[in-house]
Amino acid sequence: MISNINIYLKKSAESSKLAVFRICFGLLMLYSMVRFWSKNWIHTIYVEPKFHFKYYGFEWIQSLGSYTYVLFIICIICSILITLGLWYRLSIIVFFLSFTYIELIEKTTYLNHYYFVSLLSFILIFLPASSCFSIDSILKKKQYSQVPKWTTDSIKLLMIIVYFYAGLAKINSDWLLEALPLKIWMPSKYDIPLIGETFLQYEWVHYLMSWGGMLYDLTIPFLLLNKRTRMIGFFLVLFFHLFTAILFPIGMFPYIMILSALVFFDGQTHDKIIKLLKRPISVFMKKSKVVIVEKLSTFEYKRPKLILITLAIFFLVQIVVPFRYVLYPSELFWSEEGYRFSWRVMLVEKIGYTTFKIKNKDTGVIFEAPCTNMLTKVQTKQMSFQADMILEFAHYLGDYYKKQGLHNIAVFANSYVTLNGRPKEQFIDPSIDLLSIEESFKHKVWIKPYKYDIKGF
Amino acid sequence: MLRKIFFFNLISVAFLIGCSDSNTSQTSETVWEQKAQMLENWADNFILPNYESLIDNLLSLEESISVFNNNPTQQHLDNVRYGWLEAYKSWQYVEMFNIGPAEQTFYHLKMNVFPTSLVNIEQLVASGDYSPLDNSPYNSAQGFPALDYLLYGLSENDSEIISTYTINGNYRNYLAEIIQRMISNTSYVLDQWSNYRTNFISSTENTATSSANKMTNDFIYYYEKGFRANKFGIPVGVFSAGNVFPEKLEAYYSQNVSRTLALEAMNAIDLFFNGNGSYSLKQFIDNFATDEMSNLSSEINDQFDLARTSIEGLDQNFVNQLNTDFLQMGITYDVIQAGTVLLKTDMLSVLQIATDYVDADGD
Repeated sequence: MISNINIYLKKSAESSKLAVFRICFGLLMLYSMVRFWSKNWIHTIYVEPKFHFKYYGFEWIQSLGSYTYVLFIICIICSILITLGLWYRLSIIVFFLSFTYIELIEKTTYLNHYYFVSLLSFILIFLPASSCFSIDSILKKKQYSQVPKWTTDSIKLLMIIVYFYAGLAKINSDWLLEALPLKIWMPSKYDIPLIGETFLQYEWVHYLMSWGGMLYDLTIPFLLLNKRTRMIGFFLVLFFHLFTAILFPIGMFPYIMILSALVFFDGQTHDKIIKLLKRPISVFMKKSKVVIVEKLSTFEYKRPKLILITLAIFFLVQIVVPFRYVLYPSELFWSEEGYRFSWRVMLVEKIGYTTFKIKNKDTGVIFEAPCTNMLTKVQTKQMSFQADMILEFAHYLGDYYKKQGLHNIAVFANSYVTLNGRPKEQFIDPSIDLLSIEESFKHKVWIKPYKYDIKGF
Repeated sequence: MLRKIFFFNLISVAFLIGCSDSNTSQTSETVWEQKAQMLENWADNFILPNYESLIDNLLSLEESISVFNNNPTQQHLDNVRYGWLEAYKSWQYVEMFNIGPAEQTFYHLKMNVFPTSLVNIEQLVASGDYSPLDNSPYNSAQGFPALDYLLYGLSENDSEIISTYTINGNYRNYLAEIIQRMISNTSYVLDQWSNYRTNFISSTENTATSSANKMTNDFIYYYEKGFRANKFGIPVGVFSAGNVFPEKLEAYYSQNVSRTLALEAMNAIDLFFNGNGSYSLKQFIDNFATDEMSNLSSEINDQFDLARTSIEGLDQNFVNQLNTDFLQMGITYDVIQAGTVLLKTDMLSVLQIATDYVDADGD
């Protein structure tokens, strides 16, 4: 066993794989950041709100207000440096920190693919992705043709986890037996050319997409791993992600997954890509003086053990975390206890409507908090069906009214949520004073149990 | 192994294709056609005729006002008041259509923002310079609420009101100015609608800016804000720490018509939702609801009926209601609120419209 591991750790792969991945990642991030900026989302999501929903344990993360733009500029600069492979290690560390910081400012914008980017950039910190075809290698006058195989494999492993868990999460009664929520979503896509009015309106199509999506997620990692099926796999990757890009407003996610899937291809393919990229550059660089770069074989870590242990712990956490929901007795899709950070995508259609009642405990007077101006519409929408955010906002309201001079108050939530086309149910126990509840990892008993049972992972 | 997986995929896909071919929509018309019919119904049987009947009523009100201004008598005042109420009633069928030219010109804010601002009205009456009415701080010094004050609130008794108009030409001028502005603002919107209509009915896609979605959002917004909060919630003190605010009622100065106006609004909501015989939200809900929600449209209608019954049970003068038994009005508010919950959760879930506000990526 140990010797097997040792043999594996000594295996190497072409360094061009990491170089191509680095360039794709850098360019995609550059585009994502500029796109985010151009849509004015920095303002509407990070600057405009008076109040930000925080992740449990990260309440200390402060909004930077208008300085959030600086964070984005830092991310943009890092993306460029990562693409060029200039000061790579520093750039990827700064990118990871600033990107993750941005994500931690506001919980209502949580997206699995932002989380994926954070994780990916964390892994990339430990990988020698600028060991060839990079400015670093020119500056250091050293380039490596090989890197340890586990470096490229760790990217693959993260992708396998993402796909496999996404597939596992689709094995549930709503998705497979009812084709929900696709059955609700697809008919509303009638305005998509060609397929919208025909194909997407049929119920069998919704079942086909549900089952196909589940099978795709579960099998695609293996199709990509195996050399014989890799081309079919990649074709499916292209088809699946481009199709979802047409159907859903999921931003950059499809393109991130498509380009990331390149890492499964063999070294020759990546060498070809590098050659292709070199051609226009060499034309450009003709006049500059020739730098002699020493060509070395395999990149070697100074402290491989430390990095391997870090990555091992990282992946262990990644494998365990999505299963934490089993520790909660509630219906997962309803309470969302243990829902995030688990690659559960597209599984629920939820609409919530939540209002808050403030009770003056001295006088007994109850009134409804007019909170329309306290939150942005995106925040209101997200908060309305997620219990941790409802709790957080109740506390914010409590603080707000205490500042207004109402010291002895209770805050109650009137919350209704629809889940996957079922009639709305009351979500939060309206008799519970939310100010008496503190956020924790404990089961939230103040979420009303769901009337329906959804079986599966 | 891999071949088996792949084979399994193919088999299950083939199985599913063979399995079922039912269409979720229950009519042979495409969604486009249904949406187009709905928008046409809204434009031709709701928006345009409702604006037309509003402008007709405003024009006859203007006539009564000019008669009254020439000769302020009790009889003429009664005629003006009658005309005002008729126009105000027809306004209840227009207020939800804050879309297109109305939205662009902030038309609604010039027609029915209450409580009306006595300070601003008196200032304008005294100065005779009405240009400030173009600015938003003076929105509440015009429209129906301003007329309410001018026709009922200038004094406790009618003879003093009449003598105010007899003695003070400034009041006559202001009265004439307000009705003229209401007419010109309304006819501008109506004129624009003849061009905008084509635009409106052709915008059938499911995007945040399409007519179908914007109008649905406007309808919900009206139910929640214009109807629920403005007519009931705010005056009854739902949003304030236990105080009632009779002076924040619609038509506060005339007092006796607040229930009448609320019932007209309820009727407008009901008619719009059900489509009055043609495509509207009800038909869409019936066509697209999941099995569990197949009762939704009747559930919403039942809730509307409960709300109507509850409003009918209130004093026709909401000021009296608030002063004698505000809790009863609180109950009415709760019944109306139950309707808001249905519209904002179940209905939005079934309709799957791209909401006008959420502009962000999802996953």
